[in-house]
Amino acid sequence: MPEVVIEVEKLYKKYHLGTIGTGSFRQDLQRWWTTSIQKKEDPFFQANGNGSPDAKRRTILALQDVSFEVKHGEAIGIIGSNGSGKSTLLKIISRIVRPTQGVVRGRGKVSSLLEVGTGFHPELTGRENIYISGYILGMSKPEIKAKFDEIVAFAGVDDFIDTPVKRYSSGMYVRLAFAVAAHLEPDILIVDEVLAVGDADFQKKCLGKMREVSQSDGRTILFVSHSMQAIKNLCDKALWLDKGKMQSFGGVSGVVNKYLTTVQQSKLKQSWSTPEVAPGNDWVRIQSVELIPHHNNPDEPLDIRVPLTVKFSFWNRHDNVFLSAGLHLFTPAGECIFDVPSPSTICDKGIVEGECFIPGNFLNDGPYYISMVIVKDTSVPLFNFEECLTFELDDYRENIQWYGKWWGAVRPKLPFHLKQAAPVLA
Amino acid sequence: MSQDKVVWDWEINGKTSFWSHSLPELWSYRHLMAGLVRRYFLLNYQQTVLGPLWILFQPIMTLFTYVLVFNKIVGIPTGSLPPVVFYASGIVLWNFFSESFTGTAATFKDNAQLFSKVYFPRVIVPISVISTHALRLLIQLLLLFLVIGYYSVFSDFSIPFNIWILAFPFTILLIGVFGLALGLFFSVITAKYRDVTNLVTLGVRLFMFITPVIYPLTTVPENLLWLVQLNPLTPLFELFRLSLLGEGFVTPYQLLYSVSITALVFVGATLLFNKQGDKLIDVV
Repeated sequence: MPEVVIEVEKLYKKYHLGTIGTGSFRQDLQRWWTTSIQKKEDPFFQANGNGSPDAKRRTILALQDVSFEVKHGEAIGIIGSNGSGKSTLLKIISRIVRPTQGVVRGRGKVSSLLEVGTGFHPELTGRENIYISGYILGMSKPEIKAKFDEIVAFAGVDDFIDTPVKRYSSGMYVRLAFAVAAHLEPDILIVDEVLAVGDADFQKKCLGKMREVSQSDGRTILFVSHSMQAIKNLCDKALWLDKGKMQSFGGVSGVVNKYLTTVQQSKLKQSWSTPEVAPGNDWVRIQSVELIPHHNNPDEPLDIRVPLTVKFSFWNRHDNVFLSAGLHLFTPAGECIFDVPSPSTICDKGIVEGECFIPGNFLNDGPYYISMVIVKDTSVPLFNFEECLTFELDDYRENIQWYGKWWGAVRPKLPFHLKQAAPVLA
Repeated sequence: MSQDKVVWDWEINGKTSFWSHSLPELWSYRHLMAGLVRRYFLLNYQQTVLGPLWILFQPIMTLFTYVLVFNKIVGIPTGSLPPVVFYASGIVLWNFFSESFTGTAATFKDNAQLFSKVYFPRVIVPISVISTHALRLLIQLLLLFLVIGYYSVFSDFSIPFNIWILAFPFTILLIGVFGLALGLFFSVITAKYRDVTNLVTLGVRLFMFITPVIYPLTTVPENLLWLVQLNPLTPLFELFRLSLLGEGFVTPYQLLYSVSITALVFVGATLLFNKQGDKLIDVV
């Protein structure tokens, strides 16, 4: 049973909103008087959120009642939307900010990598920056000396090592900065979204290094990323924060799936009970439109592998019309990915139904919306139903160690063969 | 949980203590401190023609101006000391104090970005600032010794070697500690209430005029003497001149006053810095 190396207990962090100006000194005095002299609770802090309206309006709880444990050698991914308190949590564990309430206890040396290039100065040479950044991140002089060549080689900046880093290309700068951090040897490594910078090649190198650190060296890692793919690949467990509260903590795939299904703001079904309230006109009125994913487990998020069916029905209000429907799939930027017409058929008054099948492993990941058009005589549009469905497809990559955005409007799985034709004779 | 509950290496909670760092912990960051001092020198003289000579150039120019204005134009008497020697000693010592003070007072303002991204004992920064200025002082003292040497060879000024020379390192130490202490105190205040920043730059400039930098204490009129003597730096400047140049006016009581004020401010500022330092990151 591995030992617990970090214990987070009932952590709260409150921030003041607004600017510090008139009244803040008075508040400081008042707080000091009540907490230090009268030994009472902080008058401006309410853990349960029942504070006075005034106090509530001007403060925000970045973390609320967060408790968890990290065992030796575990890699924990921290996920959540922007402003959910991920970075605040990392900053508290890194000792940069103090919690308002609660305790973090731990064992071993902690190094945090909250930005790439902490302590770098543009005027200094690569060599000087390696040393100063190394010291700031907690390395000792002999440690840096021993790893100096390795760091330079990892960054690939040998020829520029005595040039001020302001003359580096941005790629070189980032590589050098990460190289220093990558050679830290803490017991616990805290990493905040470093993959957001750098090119694909560099991302791969970083991830590889981090995996090496966590798996072969048995170090404990806390890792924040917006790339679910990277989290799934690197971490054993995940912690999901939402508006400062812990939503879920546990095995990585379970938490990530739960997170994704909640976050996907989808409009998967719309229906109307009578033609009077339904969108449409004198020709047609929409009864229902629905996107049906064909996955095995309804709790799983929609990813690019899942086949989809678009099912719709409408009231036709005239006899003997030659009708067809068209489905348009758009990206949020308004690019049309496809425009698929249905076969045309003669319809009488009453309900007309249709469905269209979109295969899995065809669309790229990302958000989409569907618009529908109903057409008479294959040329006269009767009714345009804009943005009737919206959905988002998640990324899925099997055995691919690359985490950049996949290119292309579509991502079809086409028959593709690769083999060694003839071995080279040495 | 079991009885053999694990022993934690560290604990982070909402309470900040007055003694947040042990000396061994600070010692483990000595490389960082040396690195910051090195960085300071590298940054200041990168891409300059004169390079580190600027350390000497600045006091020399000030010296010329002071001698011209205060001696030749205004005509402030400097006792039996040659004006150049008198002003050189004042300028070198005052520079050390004012730069140490303003440098450390900007700790949080200048390093907010760094402090919000990585942890190390914050006090390392002011310590490295004061070390930097101590090194600069050493170089400027060489200049002062050259000036004294020149005047003892080429004029009738003679270096008075007496027992007071022992007080020389003591005055420098005390002035350094006083500058650091005031700086620590104001670094916390300026981080929280920005308008104090302006007060610091203005204050240090005005403070010079109630310190015997450009005049000896003996020339101060009787009715203003209390103001100058209220300043804890006054006895230290007088003692500095007494130890090095053999002329200065200081009593044991005044010295005791300086030492107690310095100690008081130092202890208070250190406690405040430790107590507030970690909380300030939310504010700066």
